[in-house]
Amino acid sequence: MTAPILSPAAISGRPAKAARRRPGRGGAAAGMRPGFLGYGLLVAALLGAILPLYWAFLIASGDSSSLNDVNLPWWPGGNFLENAIKVVSNDRVSFFKAVLNSLIVSTVVSASVVFFSTLAGYSFAKLRFRGKQSLFIFVIATTAVPTQLGVVPLFIVMSQLGWTGTLGAVIVPGLVTAFGVFWMTQYLSTALPDELIEAARVDGANMFKTFWYIGFPAARPAAAMLGLFTFIATWTNFFWPFIVLDPSNPTLPVALSQLQANYFVDYSLVLAGVLLATLPLLLLFIVAGRQLVAGIMQGAVKG
Amino acid sequence: MNLSRRTRVGAVLATAATIALIATGCSAGGSSSGDQKVTLTLATFNNFGYTDALLASYHKAHPNITIVQKVAKTSDDAQTNLFTKLAAGNGLSDIEAVDGDWMPKVRQYPQLFTDLASADNKGRYAAYKTAGGTAGTKLIGLGTDVGPEAICYRADLFKAAGLPSDPAAVSKLLTGDWSNYYKVGAQFEAAKTGAAWFDSAGATFQGLANQYKNFFEKDDGTTVATTNPDVKSAFDSVLAASATQSAHLQEWTDDWAGGMAGGKFATMLCPPWMMGVIQGDSPKVTDWNIANAFPNGGGNWGGSYLLVPTQGKHAAEAKAFVDWLTAPDQQISAFKTAGNFPSQLAAYKSSALTGATNAFFSNAPIGTLFTDRAKAFADTGVIPFKGIKYGAIMGAVQNGLTRVEQGQQSAADSWTQVVSDIKALS
Amino acid sequence: MTTSSLPTAPAAASERSPRRIAFSSRLSRWDLKLSPYLYISPFFILFALVGLFPLVYTGYIALLKFDPILHTGTFVGFDNFVWVFQQRQFWIALRNTLTIFLLSAVPQIVVALAIAAVLDSNLKAKTFWRMGVLLPYIVMPVAVALIFSKLFSDDYGLVNHLLSFIGIAPIHWHTDTIPAQIAIATMVNFRWTGYNALILLAGMQAIPRDLYEQASIDGAGRFRRFFSITIPQLRPTLIFVIITATIGGLQIFDEPQLYDTGGLAGGSNQQWLTLTVYLHNVGWFQDGSFGRAAAVAWLLFLLIVLIGLINLAVTRRISNNENRRTS
Repeated sequence: MTAPILSPAAISGRPAKAARRRPGRGGAAAGMRPGFLGYGLLVAALLGAILPLYWAFLIASGDSSSLNDVNLPWWPGGNFLENAIKVVSNDRVSFFKAVLNSLIVSTVVSASVVFFSTLAGYSFAKLRFRGKQSLFIFVIATTAVPTQLGVVPLFIVMSQLGWTGTLGAVIVPGLVTAFGVFWMTQYLSTALPDELIEAARVDGANMFKTFWYIGFPAARPAAAMLGLFTFIATWTNFFWPFIVLDPSNPTLPVALSQLQANYFVDYSLVLAGVLLATLPLLLLFIVAGRQLVAGIMQGAVKG
Repeated sequence: MNLSRRTRVGAVLATAATIALIATGCSAGGSSSGDQKVTLTLATFNNFGYTDALLASYHKAHPNITIVQKVAKTSDDAQTNLFTKLAAGNGLSDIEAVDGDWMPKVRQYPQLFTDLASADNKGRYAAYKTAGGTAGTKLIGLGTDVGPEAICYRADLFKAAGLPSDPAAVSKLLTGDWSNYYKVGAQFEAAKTGAAWFDSAGATFQGLANQYKNFFEKDDGTTVATTNPDVKSAFDSVLAASATQSAHLQEWTDDWAGGMAGGKFATMLCPPWMMGVIQGDSPKVTDWNIANAFPNGGGNWGGSYLLVPTQGKHAAEAKAFVDWLTAPDQQISAFKTAGNFPSQLAAYKSSALTGATNAFFSNAPIGTLFTDRAKAFADTGVIPFKGIKYGAIMGAVQNGLTRVEQGQQSAADSWTQVVSDIKALS
Repeated sequence: MTTSSLPTAPAAASERSPRRIAFSSRLSRWDLKLSPYLYISPFFILFALVGLFPLVYTGYIALLKFDPILHTGTFVGFDNFVWVFQQRQFWIALRNTLTIFLLSAVPQIVVALAIAAVLDSNLKAKTFWRMGVLLPYIVMPVAVALIFSKLFSDDYGLVNHLLSFIGIAPIHWHTDTIPAQIAIATMVNFRWTGYNALILLAGMQAIPRDLYEQASIDGAGRFRRFFSITIPQLRPTLIFVIITATIGGLQIFDEPQLYDTGGLAGGSNQQWLTLTVYLHNVGWFQDGSFGRAAAVAWLLFLLIVLIGLINLAVTRRISNNENRRTS
């Protein structure tokens, strides 16, 4: 056990510099510089990630003939901005309303998933209660249910509740996920030492305070990641929003699908739209990325 | 019924200058008062050619009615959406578009749709179109478009093969039965241009299948696909031609689209909506043209319906709107936008239609051309019966043809598998 | 320990009357007993609201010849299951599901583990690399399918084009079973490898660094440390990644569904027909087969649970062995 963890900063939930366990020092794996092989692997992974997207950008910066052009040049054409403007100004797409809706839905869902999943994960990982094991297995088992038929009954539920066509119909089913609960449970089971909780309890903190001041800070790195992943997944989700939302009140993927509604599809527009819809996520990356890395670094709270 | 509203609607529609609409307008009306603002939702898929301007013009004539269109990417998405919401009992748009291919499944539930029949729209459509929209005694779907088939061809490839290439001569050359089509194909292949005669066995089989009355199913719905000698002989004859004349590019695949741009085949069976596909996939090709001919006279591929589900709250308004939207003028407008050919017979007499040409297809006179093709199909007197299993059976047969074209199986083995796949559908 | 700074609720307890102490201790006992349930309750409440009905519904109609539109059905017992077992396409779909799962999950997790290990080391520009590997995850699945089915098209695809430069004959990505499945697995791996790498990274960073220091002092090399410390310590995260990859992999739908848009999904000879695509075809495109599709759904569910349990057992055993070796 080491003391710095219980510094006031850690308790108040602010990023606790003291809680960092000397990243990059000593002979730990974390301190090793990656070798040639390591960098090689990363570069390969990055190329594999970027090349298909670059190809999509090539199409998006061309015109309607680019997709089937065998001799597509390797440098982008000049039409990306023009295509992007066409997407944004297309009445049928209602781009800005869709961006706003997507922001609302993704923000609410990811905030909720992070909070409730962390709470449940903390409970499963660190608290003692009857039936814990079987309830946990039940949680995991729910993710194994194939969703392809679930659309019909879920729509029936939503229409009984009178929520069809509203953002609530997209938000509510995602408010807490088995995936999130599973992840936070697994993470907290290693990242949060029991002694910390014991100590807080001995000091008389009630259950929720113990969670809030001990459990939640310890969960931060994993929670940040869960939040980011949930945000992205919600942002890109298509089928259920397509079924349950009105065209006048869409999320981004639903709005963009209007571009593909044609016998022949102008894929330069479609891909321009997709890349455009990805931009806000890139911004999120840049903002959250630093947080996330800081979060992960601070993750080693274990004594 | 509110008399003042009826007269008003009638008057407005009269100014819309379509004779067909006056009586239709009179059948409109309903429980809602004339002052009530109503938003009608319209769900379509692919491209029905209903531009925002077209829909806005209805709003202009009927200030109380606003139209919002929801477009699904594909016919499949639209189908899933429709059945999900039919099952849930609500959530459908006021007007739903249904593809002719899965219309038979929808026809099983006439009680869930408003009867759109009126004294006026009786006899306005080609007989097969009305048959497709009728469930029992109820007309649940009004036809939007039909797909009278012609043949699209590449003039440059015809020239390279030493065949005539101007549309009149090509039309003459291709007029005849299927063996004539294959015979010209053999001539084309003999010239060794490097291109194939047609795109795929599957696409060609589509053309054949639409020329029989009970190809896959009897009128009572019994499957006869595995025993009907017409099916087997169509399967075999298409594959025999495919061995030397097909580009083996299965429809709707990326390679098919690429093949269109790359000049891999010289002809395609071509309903009017296919023009948009060809232009979209090969925008840089300047030598496409259309022959006013089709093997065995005429055929029809595709065409959709508009339905008004009873779960909507504005059935009367929706019905009036559908009447307007499927009226000749609007059908012609959609044809010019998206190539969806009018299903109303009156449209064929309109100069707006007969004067239509298509610049991409070497200025082909598509208005008169497809009117001729529609007549040719009507003249065959065949109304293909499509039951609830039609789509699934067609899928199994298409897969069988593709397997042979891909070199995975012999025609005989593939047929055996087709038979077992079709039996599994029962 | 500086625990005194913890905000403590009953700080002023000593000044209270005994009765109130009894009350507050009863309260605290309830707090202790009920809180765990309270904390997990949001998930179960939401599940009861939006998850339970679909599950029960699917189970119920699997036993019916069911019309989903009119909600009418006749009870047929296990006939739907019997029918499914007799279908050639079902068994092919089962095989494909398993092979595509193996082609995607195994390389994906191995590579993700390697990437995570590199990311866990003392890199320059950490944020850049981390976000870089996650890049594919932010692209909409529809676009991924569009991009890859173009890249893998037989005649005009970039992949075959590039292969031709090194003298490899064009591969029939849409005809031959294994290449088709590799193409689909590639789509899956493209999207999920970086994602899993970051999850594994988070798990790795939670491992106490002292363990590594100790091992270093004991003279363990980089690989020895990885296998004797990282892997066993990573067990909970590994279990998570493997289980979720298994469930996701066996339910794979978007990629095979969108891989080729010609005809019924799954390929002309069911080369890439997976169980979810099969159940979609049966449920939506074969008339009156909703009950059969529900039966397929339940069989798939059982398969996932079975493979999940096998995974769990294997993972436990592996990391337990590792644990024993190190301790």
